[in-house]
Amino acid sequence: MNCRECLEHLYEYLDREMTPDVEREIRNHLEACPPCGEQHDFEALFLKFVKARCSTEGAPPALRRRILEQLFDE
Amino acid sequence: MASTPSPTPDPPSQEERRAGFEREALVHLDTLYRVALRLTGNAADAEDLVQETMLRAYRSWDRFTLGTNAKGWLLTILRHLFINEYRRRRRHPEPIDLDTIEPFAVFEDIQEEDPQGAFFDRIVDDEVLRAVDQLPEAFREAVMLSDVEGLSYEEIAKVMEVPVGTVKSRLYRGRRMLQGKLLDYAVSMGYIKGPPK
Repeated sequence: MNCRECLEHLYEYLDREMTPDVEREIRNHLEACPPCGEQHDFEALFLKFVKARCSTEGAPPALRRRILEQLFDE
Repeated sequence: MASTPSPTPDPPSQEERRAGFEREALVHLDTLYRVALRLTGNAADAEDLVQETMLRAYRSWDRFTLGTNAKGWLLTILRHLFINEYRRRRRHPEPIDLDTIEPFAVFEDIQEEDPQGAFFDRIVDDEVLRAVDQLPEAFREAVMLSDVEGLSYEEIAKVMEVPVGTVKSRLYRGRRMLQGKLLDYAVSMGYIKGPPK
């Protein structure tokens, strides 16, 4: 595994979408290669950040009530 | 091992049907609303879209197989409704060929100044959502389904009706474009100096 291959598959690695074999290869490379490790940490932080910032809002309670009424009150 | 022949189950009562729907489908209301909001761009349309999605889902609830992926199933209904009922009202179709967009290289631009991405933390939620809303629809959808709602590539491919390879490419480009927009914003606010222009 070289740096180019590692970075190419970084998102798949972070998304846990790799086979265990490739996942292990990438993990080994990341441990041995500080620049790739740094980029990994940056991308991991970014993904965590997006999730945290975009999931604060949920469905309004009034919408939930309206749906329950429409579906079940007949 | 004695096995008794399983009798044909009675059709579910109204109460069972309702309980099943609440347990399997209504728990995904927040997800549907968040995705609808990013697709339609406004709360009123998002609420209508979610309500209509739930109505259709409940009508065809008997065809849904318990134990399979209700979240993906609901998102597929929502997406079809959006495409058929909402998107055609819009004046601006997506003008660009998504595959020609060069992926941004944000990390390379800031690795000297802020390799740990500390500038992200200074950006408020509304600005993050605004940046997501500026992504081309196909990227926005992929990013929402993966990064916010936690669907797998396979699940996203099913909902968006594209191959898994396309999901990967949209996620890659969408994430990098989002980073680019957030970096531009952070630079404009003076949170970070950014790359020399």
